[in-house]
Amino acid sequence: MKKIIFGLLAVLVLACGAEDATPTAPVNDTFDPTKATLLRQGNLTGSNNYKVSGVAQLYNENGKLVLLLDDFSSSNGPDLRVYLSTTSGAASFVNLGKLKSTTGKQSYEIPAGTNLTEFKFVLIWCQQFSSLFGKSETN
Amino acid sequence: MKLLIFLLLFFSIVAATSAQTSSTVNYGSITGAIGNSQGSISIDYFHLWKLGTAKKIEIGVGGRFTSYFGSNQYYSSAPAALANDVAKTDSILLGSPQVNAINLAVNLGYRLSPKIGLGFNIDALGFTLGSKKNGTYLNGTQGEATSGNPTSFNVLLVGNNDRGTLNSEFYARYFFNEKLAIKIAYQFLFTEYTTDTQIQQAPEANDRFRNKAGLFSLGITKQF
Repeated sequence: MKKIIFGLLAVLVLACGAEDATPTAPVNDTFDPTKATLLRQGNLTGSNNYKVSGVAQLYNENGKLVLLLDDFSSSNGPDLRVYLSTTSGAASFVNLGKLKSTTGKQSYEIPAGTNLTEFKFVLIWCQQFSSLFGKSETN
Repeated sequence: MKLLIFLLLFFSIVAATSAQTSSTVNYGSITGAIGNSQGSISIDYFHLWKLGTAKKIEIGVGGRFTSYFGSNQYYSSAPAALANDVAKTDSILLGSPQVNAINLAVNLGYRLSPKIGLGFNIDALGFTLGSKKNGTYLNGTQGEATSGNPTSFNVLLVGNNDRGTLNSEFYARYFFNEKLAIKIAYQFLFTEYTTDTQIQQAPEANDRFRNKAGLFSLGITKQF
């Protein structure tokens, strides 16, 4: 009976899934900033003891809004997202999607109609655990 | 509707076999359940009538206390008009949901042998307690901070019309002796939060969000 109970407990423990980490292979998106208009930019810094660096730039490319993370690097974590936010927290935000990689030049399309004056903060945000990894206030 | 069907079935069987019902049995269980970053502890007590010529059918009513705890769980729009169409559902993400519910429940079981029993039980009506929790409202690419409390009133209805925190189990019991059994179950547990404001505004205003958890559980049952 002890073996049965131990086996059942093992099954229960293994039923708890692990969280997915963000890819680490460097990306190099093809977005060409020379063909777009720079609207705002800021330097990324880490938060809560996480290391994040690089430049966040907001472009208008023929009417399409794009966020470019250049020379980017971030600590790894599960469910990392790129947010545009009204504050340095996630009080009100636009989710641009999952972070493509912890390193490299990467671009994210911004939904049409987003007010970049209002959503001026770029956040690297762990959605699953509601934790801020890094941020940039763009000007 | 599920409850109605179940109760109709229950009373029909009781009525049809009343001449044969001469014994009852009481079960009390303590159960722990676990899933993906969430779990529950429940304590239940059921009074069952043993029906049929062989007295193998066990059907009855009881009560259950369920304490649910989770970490970073998503809750989707709860009202049926929204929940029935995934395109109409938004969600909230709660960092540390925790609810405590007391419900009346019904149970249907079958004693395969003196050692083994199978069955199903489900909460039907009750109330829930728990503290306010902070979370994030997610609507497509948009999001904002929010907070809410566990929905106070629980009731089992048809489909997504359910309200509040409701627990249910498909279980198997192995009896070591006449009084003590181990219970293995698949627990399906609904928990629900009501946000402080009607944070969802389209396609209709909504403040209720539900999490449906499938949990593997293990318990001890004592027969009284």
